[in-house]
Amino acid sequence: MEYAYVNSRIRAMKSRLLDRRQLDQLINKHDIDALITELEKTPYREELERAGVQYSGVTRIEYALRKDLVRAFRNLLSFTSGEEEENLLAITLNRYDVQNIKTILRGKRIHATPGEILDCTIPAGELDEAALTELVKQPDVKSVIDLLATWGIVYSRPLTKAFKEYSDTRDMLVLEYAIDTYYYQYALATLKGGETEDHRVIRDMVITEIDISNLRTVFRVLRDQIDREDAKRYLLEGSSELGLATLLSMMKGGTLEGALKHLEHTSYQFLTQVPPEYVSAQKISAFEKELDRYLVRKGIGYFIGDPLSIAYAIAYTWAKYAEVTNIRVIARCLVSEVPEKDLREALISV
Amino acid sequence: MVDWGIPVGAGIAFGLGALGTGIAQSKIGAAGAGTIAEKPDLFGLMIIMVAIPETLVILGFVVATMIMIMLV
Repeated sequence: MEYAYVNSRIRAMKSRLLDRRQLDQLINKHDIDALITELEKTPYREELERAGVQYSGVTRIEYALRKDLVRAFRNLLSFTSGEEEENLLAITLNRYDVQNIKTILRGKRIHATPGEILDCTIPAGELDEAALTELVKQPDVKSVIDLLATWGIVYSRPLTKAFKEYSDTRDMLVLEYAIDTYYYQYALATLKGGETEDHRVIRDMVITEIDISNLRTVFRVLRDQIDREDAKRYLLEGSSELGLATLLSMMKGGTLEGALKHLEHTSYQFLTQVPPEYVSAQKISAFEKELDRYLVRKGIGYFIGDPLSIAYAIAYTWAKYAEVTNIRVIARCLVSEVPEKDLREALISV
Repeated sequence: MVDWGIPVGAGIAFGLGALGTGIAQSKIGAAGAGTIAEKPDLFGLMIIMVAIPETLVILGFVVATMIMIMLV
């Protein structure tokens, strides 16, 4: 692929991301209308104007951000259209499909309205807005899975297999684990054998996501004192740094402090720096936040990777995701009148 | 008898310079096209960037000319 052309376009797109000064200006706004006015001075203006026809306030911002994010990711895919790299980039963006399907299944489980569910989705993967709209209209979990199967969407296979167990236990974790496992194993199988820098970058990010998902599971198991044998089946395979043996020994100790000791001298050593009061209070949200930040920082770090590889595109997807998340956090905090100090703490990678 | 070394040397000086310019311009041109697609206001700057490797072929031409003068 002609990376000189593609990465130049992405560099230009990156230059339109908000810098620290612009983000500070957004943080300093006192109400949602002032925030919208400030956002209208940024590249989000176009989508905000379109969203303004239907929505107002936070909903307007959220709708515009979602549209802008999807447009940026679709642009990236169009640059690689017809090339081998399109499949590699699709692996990264398909995580949004998995996330969207999980959101819809959860929504159906708690009988949320189609509108509410659709607002929580990000149609950046293969399932576009029309497909997601059709999915959220289904009456229950079974119908969503059946519709995915009718469309020949690959994720219907693990969901159909796991549905029997779900209908017996009514445990959404069964379906979520099935689709996660399928996505990560499919991604790793696609990347197997590829020795280029592009394959290495995507594999590295997929494995990091597997590690983070497993660490979340371990922390929850320890906090809720779930049986280790029950929890074992919800661990994802594929990582060499935090293999199943390490994760099982983390759970074996039965305490967060003991589990954190196993992370010393690994890439996740930063978790041992979490303040002790959070550890003793078993506040795993602090760990989850650190893990999220680590994932985003790692993704954005690829901006300084090989300039003639897919690294730049991957870094852009994470930088854009971080920016949209940060603006959403600012908007939500403004509405809830959260103090500026807490707001800044809630932002990622600032 | 004609000494072929001098014109061949001039040809190499000019040819390799032109080849280098071609390779550099292909890369810069692709990057420039990508940049202009996103930021059309950088068109002028990109033209200058694409023209910079021309110096290689110009230097090659000058060296080739100086070699050829030796024939006169």
